[in-house]
Amino acid sequence: MTAAIPQPSRTYDLSFARWVRENVKGGDKMNLCMQCGVCAGSCPIGNEMDNGPRKTFMMVRAGMKEEVLSSSTLWNCTSCYRCYVRCPRGIPVTSIIQGLAAVAAKEGYAPKQKVENYYFSKAFWWSAEKFGKTDERLVTMKYFFSFGLSEGIKKALDNLKVALGMIKAGRMHIGLPHTIKNKSQLKAIVAKAKELEQKG
Amino acid sequence: MSEKMKFTYYPGCSSEATGRHLDESTRAVFPELGIEVQDIEDWNCCGASIGHIGGGPLPQLALNARNLANAKKNGNEHVFTSCAACYLNTHGSNLTIRDDEKKRELANEALKAGGMDGYEGDLKVHHAMEVLVNFVGMDKIAERATNKLEGLKVAGWVGCQTVRPFAETDDGGNYDTYEEPHFLDDITKACGAEAVDYEPKTNCCGGSVAVMKPEKTLHLMKLLLEEAEKAGADVISTPCPLCQTNLEMYQEAINKKYGTNFNIPVVFPQQLMAVAFGMDPQKDAALHRNTIRAEKLEKMAKK
Repeated sequence: MTAAIPQPSRTYDLSFARWVRENVKGGDKMNLCMQCGVCAGSCPIGNEMDNGPRKTFMMVRAGMKEEVLSSSTLWNCTSCYRCYVRCPRGIPVTSIIQGLAAVAAKEGYAPKQKVENYYFSKAFWWSAEKFGKTDERLVTMKYFFSFGLSEGIKKALDNLKVALGMIKAGRMHIGLPHTIKNKSQLKAIVAKAKELEQKG
Repeated sequence: MSEKMKFTYYPGCSSEATGRHLDESTRAVFPELGIEVQDIEDWNCCGASIGHIGGGPLPQLALNARNLANAKKNGNEHVFTSCAACYLNTHGSNLTIRDDEKKRELANEALKAGGMDGYEGDLKVHHAMEVLVNFVGMDKIAERATNKLEGLKVAGWVGCQTVRPFAETDDGGNYDTYEEPHFLDDITKACGAEAVDYEPKTNCCGGSVAVMKPEKTLHLMKLLLEEAEKAGADVISTPCPLCQTNLEMYQEAINKKYGTNFNIPVVFPQQLMAVAFGMDPQKDAALHRNTIRAEKLEKMAKK
């Protein structure tokens, strides 16, 4: 990401919209939006979103940075890409919502709200970075326990039967995590990528 | 059989756990269809649909760049994967590296920090289903299917990322449509089974949201099961490992919440093919790894 996110001041302030245009993947296409609502109408769990993609785009234009980045819309995208392929103006809707979610995570909006996706993605990334692979079992446990010990135990017990079925079918790995061979190489690559992203 | 086409294969993380049966059946079936499968050396995770949040967009691109740079060493032009999320990330990153000079430079700088050569985006990345459509062809599948699955009713559930957002693009091989894909039913028919009408063919199960917060998406999966039952399907066939696991493991939670009584097996088209090719039901079709066993399909398998 490049320059700091501006704090819009006037009633009609395009600075946030311009920032999104420059810094979020697909953001350069957002000004093509004609507010038709095909995206929101195509969303499988739009009922879980406060604003939905159509309204989110208008809010970006209106400079509503705080509202956009603390919106539940960003955390309920299933990445089904229905909106993306249906948009009559060819706007990569999914990419923009995901890009805004990444910004909201980075800027601290997600942890403040205790967003599930945030914890899940952190648990997921922990495994990817540490082992080079996703250990579905450890990611799930780490995610469960990010809500505290008692909640973690409850969630783990709720899923015990499913887990046992998976173990029986040989689909839940037992023992040490699978890892890539060259972990130090991956670590260096990811560290460099993080540094470059920080620099913008 | 004529000489095999060599493809580099990206198994992805689920291949070692929840999606083992997809990996095993893919490795069994593809060589039978003239595709030699060669793994990417020391492959890593693609970041799935949430790596951009957990790690950031550029670190996620770097993960994929490492895989692609390693894939390049195999010397094949084509790479394929059976996992929808792996495909989305690997294919998408490949296009970004090919077309976006700035991102390519950044990704290559990250690779250099790991002592790797740069990557220019010159490989071609495919989904396993696209390989079957564009490189193998349904005729070849039908020809190889000597143990026809006669009488088996299959609901073809494509899901999301196997076709969206690349199936209708030139880079995605234009292999089917977003709204009414027919490749999955074509595979079912080539195996000698019956493809029942299945309206929610491209519906979403909730993906990773189903994993982290099932309450939000159980109704989506309930609809998928209801429609399969209405159509009289014996099994649901899906190419996506997360779709398969979600729809299988949440049936009990759905029954509990809605008072239903679903117990519908969810299998991969590769498993159907392995049985139709007369291959081993365990070693090749990996039918023992389905937690809801596809009994009718198992009975059809050559022992």
